[in-house]
Amino acid sequence: MKLSIDEKRCKGCNLCTMVCPYRIFRPGKTPNERGIVIPVLDRPERCPNARLQPLYGRTLCGMCQMICPDQAISWVEEKPGEKKKVAIEF
Amino acid sequence: MTFTDWLRADRLPHIYCAGCGNGTVINCTLNAVDQMGWKKEETVFVSGIGCSSRAPGYIVTDSLHTTHGRALAFATGIKMANPALNIVVFTGDGDLAAIGGNHFIHACRRNIDLTVVCMNNMIYGMTGGQGSPTTPPGALSTTTPYGSEEPAFDLCELAAAAGANYAARWTSYHVKELTHAVLAGLRTPGFSFIEALVQCPTNYGRRNKFRQPLDQVEYFKTHGMLVEKVRRLHEEGREIPPDTIVLGELARRNRPAMGVKR
Repeated sequence: MKLSIDEKRCKGCNLCTMVCPYRIFRPGKTPNERGIVIPVLDRPERCPNARLQPLYGRTLCGMCQMICPDQAISWVEEKPGEKKKVAIEF
Repeated sequence: MTFTDWLRADRLPHIYCAGCGNGTVINCTLNAVDQMGWKKEETVFVSGIGCSSRAPGYIVTDSLHTTHGRALAFATGIKMANPALNIVVFTGDGDLAAIGGNHFIHACRRNIDLTVVCMNNMIYGMTGGQGSPTTPPGALSTTTPYGSEEPAFDLCELAAAAGANYAARWTSYHVKELTHAVLAGLRTPGFSFIEALVQCPTNYGRRNKFRQPLDQVEYFKTHGMLVEKVRRLHEEGREIPPDTIVLGELARRNRPAMGVKR
């Protein structure tokens, strides 16, 4: 599972970049075809909810989903064989 | 089942401006309603006129989009006609405090079994940024171009003084607390009033040095103070900053309520 932003709903207010304790959401730079600068996701599978939601059977943090005024944030299953960005964290 | 099942996906994205806090309050309210385990057929959302009152249009349940300020009057009618229905009222500050002020205090006095979620953006957002009864002193709007000189209405204190069973204030930054407050309000028999301060970047923030939605949310984060701490500071005789937003549960009592299903 990983976090994802619905590009049809997002209006680019960047509220999610403020609340995420893991800083998965970063302010975007390039506007999409509707002219909206959508936040960029930095390794969205890091979200602890993606791992622990099926285990606990409930949403644990979910701050980004709750604060998103446009109901654009959700967790989606990854496609098989999807490429992941890996970084070493200290 | 999550709160997203209560949204009308075919209607989204909604008409609110980018960064408007009303969508956040819809999320919190729907999350609380979802946790109550109510059926969609037995829940009614009522609203008046304004930005906030567009909210029931994005929810799958039955809803009433009523005349300006009269959301509580319509909700009283629904509750009296069928006390088995669960009713949640969405209003704004101009809707509830200005034109519907008398309906509000009399609904508190009668203590009808309603839950009222007031999205207080401190301005008339939809009509172009006129000053509302909750515009804080010194704030600029199109009708107060030199800064508002009037003291603002404290809606929670008004509800508590008029006799509501539950009154709480949170902001759109405090999503978890707001969800818990709405849940407590839904569980309370009698009139429960939840004031949610929301950011309005288009009409309030633009004129009051909150140009980005994040700026005003950051203001809510830094200037909010829990009511317990405010009372403690008051007892100790220490100074409370004048622009403090008092947050938390401001009233909870057990007056006899009207329209509670037996």
